[in-house]
Amino acid sequence: MTIEKLTGGYQRSKPVLHDLSFTVNKYEIVGLIGLNGAGKSTTIKHILGLMEPHAGHVRLLGKTWTESGDEYRQGLAYIPEMPLLYEEMTLWEHLELTAMAYGLDEETFKKRAERLLKEFRMTKMVKWFPSHFSKGMRQKVMIMCAFLIRPSLYVADEPFVGLDPIGIKSFLDRMLEMKAEGCGILMSTHILATAEKYCDRFILLHEGKILLQGTLKELQIQANMPGADLDEIYVEMTREDDDGE
Amino acid sequence: MVNEKQLWQNRRSEYWEMAIKYLKLIGNSGFLFTIYLLFVFGSYYYGQFLQWLPETFPATLFFTLVFTWFITRGRVRTFAKQGDLFFLTPREGKLKGYFRSSIFYSLVMETIWLSLLLLVLAPLFFDRVHSSGSFLLSILFLLIGLKWWNLAAGFEEQRLQEKARYLTHTIIRLGLTGVSVYALFSIQPIWIIGGIAGALIIFYLGYFYRLSKYHSLKWDRLVEIEDQTIMTFYRVANSFTDVPALKSKVRSRNWLSPLYKLVSFKQKNVYHYMFSRAFSRANDYFGIYIRLTLLGLLFLSIVQLDWGRWFIVALFAYMTALQIETLRLHFNTSKMVDLYPISSMEKFKSHKFWLFVLGCIQAIVFGIGSVIAFNFIEGVISLVITFLVFVLHGLFRLPKLYNAM
Repeated sequence: MTIEKLTGGYQRSKPVLHDLSFTVNKYEIVGLIGLNGAGKSTTIKHILGLMEPHAGHVRLLGKTWTESGDEYRQGLAYIPEMPLLYEEMTLWEHLELTAMAYGLDEETFKKRAERLLKEFRMTKMVKWFPSHFSKGMRQKVMIMCAFLIRPSLYVADEPFVGLDPIGIKSFLDRMLEMKAEGCGILMSTHILATAEKYCDRFILLHEGKILLQGTLKELQIQANMPGADLDEIYVEMTREDDDGE
Repeated sequence: MVNEKQLWQNRRSEYWEMAIKYLKLIGNSGFLFTIYLLFVFGSYYYGQFLQWLPETFPATLFFTLVFTWFITRGRVRTFAKQGDLFFLTPREGKLKGYFRSSIFYSLVMETIWLSLLLLVLAPLFFDRVHSSGSFLLSILFLLIGLKWWNLAAGFEEQRLQEKARYLTHTIIRLGLTGVSVYALFSIQPIWIIGGIAGALIIFYLGYFYRLSKYHSLKWDRLVEIEDQTIMTFYRVANSFTDVPALKSKVRSRNWLSPLYKLVSFKQKNVYHYMFSRAFSRANDYFGIYIRLTLLGLLFLSIVQLDWGRWFIVALFAYMTALQIETLRLHFNTSKMVDLYPISSMEKFKSHKFWLFVLGCIQAIVFGIGSVIAFNFIEGVISLVITFLVFVLHGLFRLPKLYNAM
């Protein structure tokens, strides 16, 4: 996925994102990092084609949403920050619906679903309705739906919130597996220690602009903080900005 | 494969199952009786009103304004849900049939309301615009067509992300609708009306329809529109019965903060404190209170019959009290409140306190209204009746709800 000079937001007069450019390649996990309100979720909405850019393009496998429509969206899976579930559908029905929406055949669907349910320890809850789920379980439903699809790009918005340790581990293991299979993964998160361990590259977003991007080494060089960890760089970079104002 | 038609039908019947449940409750709550009464009063005064209405009354303009507003307003019911942002977006291109059903459904619903409105205004129409019934009927058909155009264009318009552009389009639509409605009610020759209709269709095909080619659906907005529609229904239903699903929308209403000064910083005032904020900011308790008060004021200043007016005053005071009564349940879903070390007796007392304060304010408004519209004695009567209703409610009905008797 490529983002070229993306400027966007809800109002043309007040853009939230300014001239963003970055890529998520195959075989890599990219961490999207920024304070609350830095523009992470807006960036993600643009990638999903739920918002239209004022300028610039978002391309998935070389095509924009306008050019290829449904095909574009079927090429990516989204794990939202707030679980988006239908109150009147069971866990199994959510998985089934996902498979239908993304055009999976029934056999593949069942095979994948069983495995996911086991891995995320949700087999017992297949007939449950979302109202009986905790926040973490709801999040697991979204994650399972996303992994069911096997698209070329995953977009995860704060996927860890509410997950139990085993859930987080299953999620991360799966991510690595998908990466090894050639997927690109864009993950926005606040949990920097985890991000540092799993992401290949980072994009530091602040007030709708990219402050830094690159591998941890590159960030250390750009920030002139050799040996610093992601936490330190992050705090330092955003502090500089506060002083400037 | 997901069957879009099936999905749409499921959602529609799901909604109607819910709606019918509430409509039944509304029907049982004495609401129909109130409507019936208003109908009797209404038809009695309608004739008088028409006679009283001066010859110079701009009937055409009046009809134009009312119907322009009525036809431009309203959005397509899509039954969109939060989950669609994840589950339906990848199939957006295949949902054309789904949205066509939505537009058609919305048209049917709007047609019912439109016909009702025209029926209510029919006597005025016959009296001032044109006396032919078939004429009115053809206007109705043309209005339905115009409504269709508005729904279809309004649906494409929602694809525009920017609020400002979205609004501009709605205003343009309002203007075009206004011209068309005026042409109908000022009884323009058929070729002008045909010309306008043709122009609208060309404009839709050449402009609005093309929006769908270049802009994606704004799912966030569809969900928001749907939520608002349901909330409106819930709010109406909530006036007659408890609607647990009513999500609150908070408004700050800073200018009401003097009201909070009535509550001092003491432990026993915790519920005073909570109710005051709940009333002024949440769920539109305040909005309904104001609307009922203004509506009551309007009725009591029109109705000439003494006992009829007294009845109206009592009726509106009682309806207001019933609204304030629902505050009791406002904090039911908040588990924290149950943990506060305060007895439920305090809750009851606080509720009663606000019931009386708001009752006093309404009594004064009705009183002053009657003084201005009639005379001083009438003012005192209205004031006393209103106050009495609130006192009776606070002494008998409210304690029963709290099991405090």
